[in-house]
Amino acid sequence: MMDRIVTIVPEAGLHARPASKFVETANQFEAELQIAADGEEPVDARSMLGVTSVGAEHGDQVKLIADGEDAEAALDALEKVLTTPEDEYDE
Amino acid sequence: MSERTLSGIGVTPLSGVGTVVWYDQDVELDEPPAPDSVDTAAEHRRFGNAVATAREELQAERERTAEKVGESEAEIFDAHLQFLDDPQITGAVEDAIDEGLPAEHGTREGFQQGIEQLEAAGGRMAERADDLRDIRDRLVRILADAERIDLSALPEGTVLLAEMLTPSDTAQLDPEAVAGFATAAGGRTSHAAIFARSIGIPAVVGVGDDLLDIEADSEVVVDGEAGEVIVDPSEATRERASERRDVEVQADRVETADGKEIEVAANVGTLAELEGAVAQGADAIGLFRTEFLFLDREAPPDEDEQVETYVEALDAFPEGRVVVRTLDVGGDKPIPYIEADEEDNPFLGMRGIRRSLGPDADLFETQIRALLRAGAEGDGNLAVMFPLVATVGEVEQALDVVDEVAADLESEGIDHAMPELGVMIETPAAVFVGDALADRLDFFSIGTNDLAQYVMAASRQNEHVADLHDPSDPAVLRAIDRAVDAAHAGDIWIGMCGEMAGDPELTELLIGLGLDELSMSAVTIPDVKANVVEAETDEAESLAASTLESSTKDQVRSVISDNK
Repeated sequence: MMDRIVTIVPEAGLHARPASKFVETANQFEAELQIAADGEEPVDARSMLGVTSVGAEHGDQVKLIADGEDAEAALDALEKVLTTPEDEYDE
Repeated sequence: MSERTLSGIGVTPLSGVGTVVWYDQDVELDEPPAPDSVDTAAEHRRFGNAVATAREELQAERERTAEKVGESEAEIFDAHLQFLDDPQITGAVEDAIDEGLPAEHGTREGFQQGIEQLEAAGGRMAERADDLRDIRDRLVRILADAERIDLSALPEGTVLLAEMLTPSDTAQLDPEAVAGFATAAGGRTSHAAIFARSIGIPAVVGVGDDLLDIEADSEVVVDGEAGEVIVDPSEATRERASERRDVEVQADRVETADGKEIEVAANVGTLAELEGAVAQGADAIGLFRTEFLFLDREAPPDEDEQVETYVEALDAFPEGRVVVRTLDVGGDKPIPYIEADEEDNPFLGMRGIRRSLGPDADLFETQIRALLRAGAEGDGNLAVMFPLVATVGEVEQALDVVDEVAADLESEGIDHAMPELGVMIETPAAVFVGDALADRLDFFSIGTNDLAQYVMAASRQNEHVADLHDPSDPAVLRAIDRAVDAAHAGDIWIGMCGEMAGDPELTELLIGLGLDELSMSAVTIPDVKANVVEAETDEAESLAASTLESSTKDQVRSVISDNK
């Protein structure tokens, strides 16, 4: 089990396209993945509902938690989504 | 039976009469059977199959919407697809099935928790609760095997009534068969409204709960101009509504009987409307509003996205002109990422070019960069106009920004082209300094809605002064006349893009006043073109002279009606 604290970069926060992208990315890995707002209970990173409900805005810190063989790669990929400005997403 | 009128928001200046078909998305479920009589394994399979069917439907609707309405409208389906695969939601449904509920009841229960979770979070998250309801209703419909009315195969002369219509619903409507639609919910910018405008279906939205009392198979009139739904219309009302326009679309440019060319153009506010503009015979786009690019999103569109949008508009009119208005927002149109203070008097405050030269300077610069790049890439001729100009200084500042952006692009080696540059004539100040503005610009376009509001000091939104707000008041007509004189003295063209330009009753007067271009909602283009062809310039000029001599609005009206 490993975790990482990440500061949200996209202006939109963890909503709309960034949230979609985040869930989509989480689905590419085998590891168990969770995301938590500061001091809150972690939620499933593959749940659009859960991720949206975290309510993280631009500049907020969130904790990413991963458990499984590709945990580190998953954390890297999710961190990249959260730290890439929305206008630099690949289409 | 006497007729009954319900009021809502009219979204297309068209009327239609027809027979009511109700589009009801709610499925009534029976009470669930006793838990021990339910085959849990079978119910799990039914749920899994329903999810697969829903996924196929959503993917098909996504494609259809992207094609018919636009890519950004289609993105809503991506969110639906993600919620459909959400382990938290499917897990909750599966738990409910494990407790002995049939799949459809389990779906209702499993989704309820998520809907409540989002609603409790409030704000932007609460808006997503509607997405969850949409998906839940789709699954329940599939599971209950309820027939969904096939919206693509409605009988001719149908007036469709619904609580609301989703993007997937409207994408299926056949404009040939549907005489009109009305919804209880929704506003001018709802999906349904945008769609109705883009394909020219009579439509009224936001009628409220009274709409729900109208019975299926009743006869109704949908008056998209007045914003009314008339139940059991009288013979006279019905005839008025069914006077379908039999004016032919003229794709070619038109001139008056004595050979003066008048450009007849369309006002559009989304890419989806371009197709309708071409279909109605527009020569050009006289007003391309860019607010849609900025509304309903969390961050502004970047330069590349804007270039793509403007190029799409230019490519739709390879032989014509596209007049793009730079971002026109104010305190009355809040956008999440634009900080605008609430103002006591937003129409006299920070809006239009004032914001672009002040707090929104960055957005303005990006927009100008995108426009200059699009001008080099797109087929049609680009023109750019600035809204709510009051002083020569504002124009000079805006032109400086354009020059600086062009110099930057030049030094970066990026392709760009200088568009025609102009202003909206909306303030009395711009009319009075029109000569000085004309010296610095390539064109004017009169926004009659705002010009009438500022000349008459009467808001369109205030019903108590709505009577004062009339572009055919002699005061407004004289302001228009003065603006035309200033433009022509400075050797530049002048158009009109307010609602007045689309009133076929006024076409001859506007030609007489000397306007070179008229730009309007696409649906009125055929009528206006037909009137241009019939007009004689000298007669039109004497009509204009008589109205300009009038001292009251009533006199103006009688001069116009005597002329017929």
